[in-house]
Parts: sequence; C-alpha cells; structure tokens
Amino acid sequence: MAKLNDDGQWIILMGFIISISILVLAFIVSESALVGKTTSESVLDFSKNDIQDLRSEVLYLKDIGEINNPDLKYDLQNLSLKRKTSIIHIENWSDTSIQTEFIYIHYNNGLTDYNEYYEEYYQ
Amino acid sequence: MVNDSAQLYTIEGVAAAVLMLVTAYIVITSTTVLTPQDVHIIDVQLETLGNDALAIMDIRNSSDDDSSLLQQLIRYDDNSNKTRFRETFLLYCNSTPQGNFDNLQFDAKIFYRGLSGDVQHYSYDRSSQYYREKAVQVSRWVYLDNKPDYGPGNMRSGQQIVLLEVLLWRS
Repeated sequence: MAKLNDDGQWIILMGFIISISILVLAFIVSESALVGKTTSESVLDFSKNDIQDLRSEVLYLKDIGEINNPDLKYDLQNLSLKRKTSIIHIENWSDTSIQTEFIYIHYNNGLTDYNEYYEEYYQ
Repeated sequence: MVNDSAQLYTIEGVAAAVLMLVTAYIVITSTTVLTPQDVHIIDVQLETLGNDALAIMDIRNSSDDDSSLLQQLIRYDDNSNKTRFRETFLLYCNSTPQGNFDNLQFDAKIFYRGLSGDVQHYSYDRSSQYYREKAVQVSRWVYLDNKPDYGPGNMRSGQQIVLLEVLLWRS
C-alpha cells in the first residue's frame, strides 16, 4: 500500500454514528430497568398502610372510650414489635382549660418515623 | 520504517475495540438485575388491593355502630361466618372493572397476645393451600370485645386487639 486510501469515509462515519447511538440507547434501557425496580421498592418499603391502619385503630379506641386500657396498648405494642418490627407509642391526655383532648401517636419501623398530635375539641 | 499509511484503519480498529469493551461492560452489569422490573410493581398493586379490601371490611356503617363487619366475623367465628369472610374478601379482591373475576387466593392467620403475654397465632381461614407462589402479606388491627367463640385455649378472654395477617397471591 503506497498511499493512504481515503475511499469509503462516509460509510465508516455512519458506522461510528450508528454504533454510538445504539450505545446510548442501551444505557437508557438499562437505567429504566433500575428506575422501575427502585421506585416500586421504595413504595413497598414505605409503611403507609401500617400507619393508616394504626391511626384508624387508635381513633376507634378513642371513639369507644378504651384508649386508656393498658391491655389494649400492650396488644398493639407487642404485636407490632413481633410482627411488623415497629415501635408504637400512644399517649392521651386532656387539657380542661381549652376543652381539648390530645392523642399522641408515635410509629417507627426503622425506615419511617411518624409522629402525630391529634386534637379534638369537646363540649 | 514508520509511515502514515492506513491511519483510518488503525483508528477504526481502536474505536471498535473500545466500543466492544464498553458494550461488554454494559451487558455484564445489566444482567446483575436479576428480577424483572415489573415484578415489584405487581407486588405493590397486590398489596394495595389487599389492604383496601381489609379496610373496606373494617369500616363501620355509621359512627353509631359499635363494630365493623370484620370485627363481627372474627368475634363470632363459626363456619358460616368464616365462609362469609372468605366470600366477601375474595369478592373485593377479585372484582375487575370488566365484571369477570381475577384469581386471587388468601391464607389468613390471627396473631394475639396469649395468657402468658407472648405472641401466639392460629389459622383463621384460607381459600386454598399455599404452595410457595409469589405472595404478599397484608394486615389489619382488629379490636375484639371478647375472645372469639372458637378461639384457642390460651387466648385471653375479654377485650383485646388482634392482628389479622393475610397472605395474598395470584394463582
């Protein structure tokens, strides 16, 4: 080969462009698999239903006047520690000067920490 | 003797080698995601469905009512009430907008704090035997004004809160 052969440069250039664009597309596809996995995993990790369930149960106990029953509190605390590996703490008190009943709900499963002061005005 | 012939071929060779290396790297790293992405999304949907079904059954008709359907069914757990729990729960879980039925199955257990204070459980009801299908678990707190009629012997009598755990899978 005596001199540089510069035939077919367009073909080589097109080959570059196509292979690089396939590379970029492959990147996007592999990222999208991770995105779908991580988002649904974080939805599964977040204990929305546990908190809503606990909240409705505590307000139900208040409704039927059993919120200060220590047996029921132990049930909630022990079962949630054993079965849901989460810590629950419930306190309730009233402030007669402003006629308000307070309920403090604490929930922590290591990932999600939830604290709520529920207030209810009574006559 | 160094000369400048075939420079384009050399560049092409180097570029092809780099492309092949990078492609091999991407292929190897992407196969480490062992689970397909939609498996977890199906789990999320199944879990939401199960929790919603239990929540519907645990809602009182009005605030004057003392108890919900779920509380009644677990408190008076004879065979007809267990059948009613199974039918209601499966109806809520399996209904589709088209009117035909999905094929979800469940296995429900009840966890309680026994006489000695430790956590015990008994099997409440199931629609089919569980053979290690891909399942999710949903749960609901249930207040009982007394021990269930057919509850186990080491269960406390009187008021208590039990945890209803339901294993839910598509067969």
